[in-house]
Amino acid sequence: MSADGVGGPPRWVLRLLGAVAPEHLRDGVLGDLQEEYHERCARGGAGAARRWAARQALRSSIPLLARRRGEHTRGKGGGGMEGWMRDVGTGIRALVRRPGFSLAVVATLALGIGANTLIFTAVDGTVLRPFPFPEPDRIVGVGTGYPRIGRDLSWFEHASPAEYRDVAGTSRTLQDLVAFDLGNRRIAAGGVPTNTFTAFWWGDALRTLEMPAWLGRGFSDRETADGDAVAVLSHRLWAERFGADSTLVGRTVQVNDEPYTVVGVAPPGVLFYGADLWLPMPIAPDEFPRDRRQFQMVGRIAPGASLEGVNAELAEITRRVAREHAAEFPEYDGWQAVARTWTDINVAGVRTQALILLGAVGFLLLLVCTNVANMLLARARGRRQELAVRTALGAGRVRLFRQLVVESAVLAGVGGAGGLLLAAWGTRGIRSVVAVAGLGLPGEVALDLRVLAFTAAVTGAAALLFGVVPAVHAVNASTAGTLRTEGAGLTPSRSRQRLQRTFVTVEVAVALVLLVGGGLLANTLVRVSRVDPGFDADGLLTMRLTVPPERYPGDAMQLFFQELVDAVEGLPEVASAAATLQYPGVAFARRNFWPEGRVEGDAPVPRTLATLTTRDYLDVVGIPLVQGRGFTVADGPGAAPVAVVNESAARLLFPGEDPVGRRIQLEGPAADAPWFTVVGVAADVRNVGLDTPPAAEVYASHEQAGRGSNQLFLVVRTTVDDPYDALAGIRTVVQGLDPEQPVYSVATVRERLQARNGTQRALALFLGAFAAAALVLASVGIYAVVSHGVGERTREIGLRMALGAGRGSIRGLMVGEALVPVGAGVVAGLVLGVVAARGLEEMLFGITAADPGTLAAVTVLLLAVATTAAWLPARRASRLDPVEALRDG
Amino acid sequence: MPRGEHLGEFEQVVLLAVLRLNPDGYGVTIRAEIEARTGRDASVGAVYATLDRLETKGLLDSHAGTPSPTRGGRAPRHYRITPEGRTALDEARRMLDALWDGFEPGAGSA
Repeated sequence: MSADGVGGPPRWVLRLLGAVAPEHLRDGVLGDLQEEYHERCARGGAGAARRWAARQALRSSIPLLARRRGEHTRGKGGGGMEGWMRDVGTGIRALVRRPGFSLAVVATLALGIGANTLIFTAVDGTVLRPFPFPEPDRIVGVGTGYPRIGRDLSWFEHASPAEYRDVAGTSRTLQDLVAFDLGNRRIAAGGVPTNTFTAFWWGDALRTLEMPAWLGRGFSDRETADGDAVAVLSHRLWAERFGADSTLVGRTVQVNDEPYTVVGVAPPGVLFYGADLWLPMPIAPDEFPRDRRQFQMVGRIAPGASLEGVNAELAEITRRVAREHAAEFPEYDGWQAVARTWTDINVAGVRTQALILLGAVGFLLLLVCTNVANMLLARARGRRQELAVRTALGAGRVRLFRQLVVESAVLAGVGGAGGLLLAAWGTRGIRSVVAVAGLGLPGEVALDLRVLAFTAAVTGAAALLFGVVPAVHAVNASTAGTLRTEGAGLTPSRSRQRLQRTFVTVEVAVALVLLVGGGLLANTLVRVSRVDPGFDADGLLTMRLTVPPERYPGDAMQLFFQELVDAVEGLPEVASAAATLQYPGVAFARRNFWPEGRVEGDAPVPRTLATLTTRDYLDVVGIPLVQGRGFTVADGPGAAPVAVVNESAARLLFPGEDPVGRRIQLEGPAADAPWFTVVGVAADVRNVGLDTPPAAEVYASHEQAGRGSNQLFLVVRTTVDDPYDALAGIRTVVQGLDPEQPVYSVATVRERLQARNGTQRALALFLGAFAAAALVLASVGIYAVVSHGVGERTREIGLRMALGAGRGSIRGLMVGEALVPVGAGVVAGLVLGVVAARGLEEMLFGITAADPGTLAAVTVLLLAVATTAAWLPARRASRLDPVEALRDG
Repeated sequence: MPRGEHLGEFEQVVLLAVLRLNPDGYGVTIRAEIEARTGRDASVGAVYATLDRLETKGLLDSHAGTPSPTRGGRAPRHYRITPEGRTALDEARRMLDALWDGFEPGAGSA
């Protein structure tokens, strides 16, 4: 309703036109609209008049807006799409006219945008969206934790079949909850037996994921309930080992010498911890003891339910289970079952690093933009005449500004396209970095639409960042200084110098932030590599063997491993050998031990590493005994069970006492478990990783552990320079003992220990590369500032020299002036760097984020590079001939 | 008017409408005149944008009239052609005539 009370045009019409019409036309436009509105009301009714007004508003906005934008430009054109297109055309021509400059800018931008695209591709493919599930946010894992027995919440090999049944049987918020165990099977394809990482299922995971099989189908309920001999293969196993044979479904494959019918092939990228072979679990859940905890659960949040809802229901279920079973299983007192998205569970460990990487590469882009802004600024000097002429010919400030920004956008566009090409090319490289670093990340690194959108956004942001400031500057300069001949005055364009110095400060600060991060990680890696593991970690080769229990019944398995060790020790490349469940760098099996004499009801002793080994393991690895003895031939299957504890375990189990001669029981206090007598104490070694303090470890004899484990590592002390030179001989020995037996997970102990620092290594690599690029870019910036300064101040320098200033003092003056903004950048960079490095803190070893040594080293490095960059052009100044300088300047 | 700049087609239409209403034409009547003569329903915004541009070029000048209640208390803007405007129209006419010379309008050949 309008103010006159009669009822005027819709208010939004007046508002819109009032907003778009130029001030001096507003009364005319709005008055006309109202006048004609009333006329139309009288003639055709209010409805028709309102429709007319609405149409008018929409049709009028564009010409009025265009007029508004064009009002500064005088004369024809300027507004509308046509004007913009013309600017793009002009922009392209302007860039083609200066190919060297354009190429330099585009190359710099392409590097910055390419690096960002590449890192985003990697992070997106492995951390943000690692799984190809249609609805990744609804696929959850259910983890369990048992604080009562010191087992923290975990989603990996942590739940028992009974607990799976507890949840699956009652949950209304979870659908198609499935559970799986991981193991190894030997699969024959093309006549060669290969060890294949295998998942054993209750339920059909493809149904849970709501993904159709690539070929065939997933498991039926009957198949997983009965444990039928059927198999689903991963897409990559099918492609690599079976030549992507589309007729494979329905045929049989040999799995541990048993025929299994292939019922389906999983979609690409659906692997579950890299398991290439899926089989139904051969045993029903209720045939396992309630505390056999080695399974993981995956389910889908039911429609209408939320993750919070799932967790509320899980809390109820745990309380009910605790009521029913806590008497028999005390760990149920206060236990937890918690759902998290499958993505969270699998990438939580590297998310921080990924974000740090994204942040770092963003900093690099900032640096690139600053540098390009600097280049544009320098070029604006050369274009001062051109811009001044255009201003004189009537181009308005807005028009000029727009022209310059469009030129920047064209540069950014070409740079972005180049960046995308670089990224496409670099994707292969980054895949290998991720693989070499041993990050074991799920997902794939590939360019896709999300990456394209990201690149487009980055390119746009870059254009704004580097285009606007120089454009404003150029427009201001062109309208202020217009057509006066350039370089006539003694002083250079002060405001441009100021701006360039600000750029140098920003560049130095950014470079230093990256240097600090890279430096801290490099320092960490050096420190980690210098850690004494406590044993001789070099020259040890390891490999894993999984022996099928069905083919090695009774003692056969024990015999096989003993024969293997003996035969391998006969090789000329081998000094000694042993078999073990785990070794330093690959430590995963932990158990609870109960020391004799502890009162039932006491808090249990925290879990320790529990390592089953053959006799000579400690000798082979080189772990010294500090007390008592190791395992001997006498400690056979029939003899009284013995154990060796390390110093940490001794302190934990028998604080302040002599452990030798004392007894411990596995998972006690249960009456029927055997007691192990401690016969020796081994020295603490870095058994988890070089950067982790030694963990408590209990060694027991494999021979005395019943049937023992069917999955052991062979650890070999080699006599050759490269431990891998022993591999061929060892393979021959294994083939001789059992031609069907594959050997896998081959690595040296040193490699395993280093792989634990894979994230640091990858991050250090990237940060180091970014920091190096940043140093180069910053030096270019500093060089440009000094070089322009010298160019513009030739007369001043000549004057100073004529007045008696020596060459050295001229050089010093120029370098010194350049180092003022560098100094400001160093201060800002150190502060920012230390703050940013706190995100790295948990990855550092032996140093803090504010490590003075690292900070000093990177500052010295940066200052050295900065001084060199300033000194080179300053030398030119000091070589000027004062007479020439005064005349030419 | 700068050399090489010619009146656009819609500029001529608007300028001629102003000329026909001289010296009292304003938005509503100019639009009505255009519609009556050419059958063209130009939007308020398009007409004003063109009027304003012609004024900037010095072909028109304008003054505010008396506000009225039907206009929501807003003054109309009256436009009057300037001698330069008149010259520009003549020039445009002459140019078109020169181009048409020798052709029969509406013959529809070619």
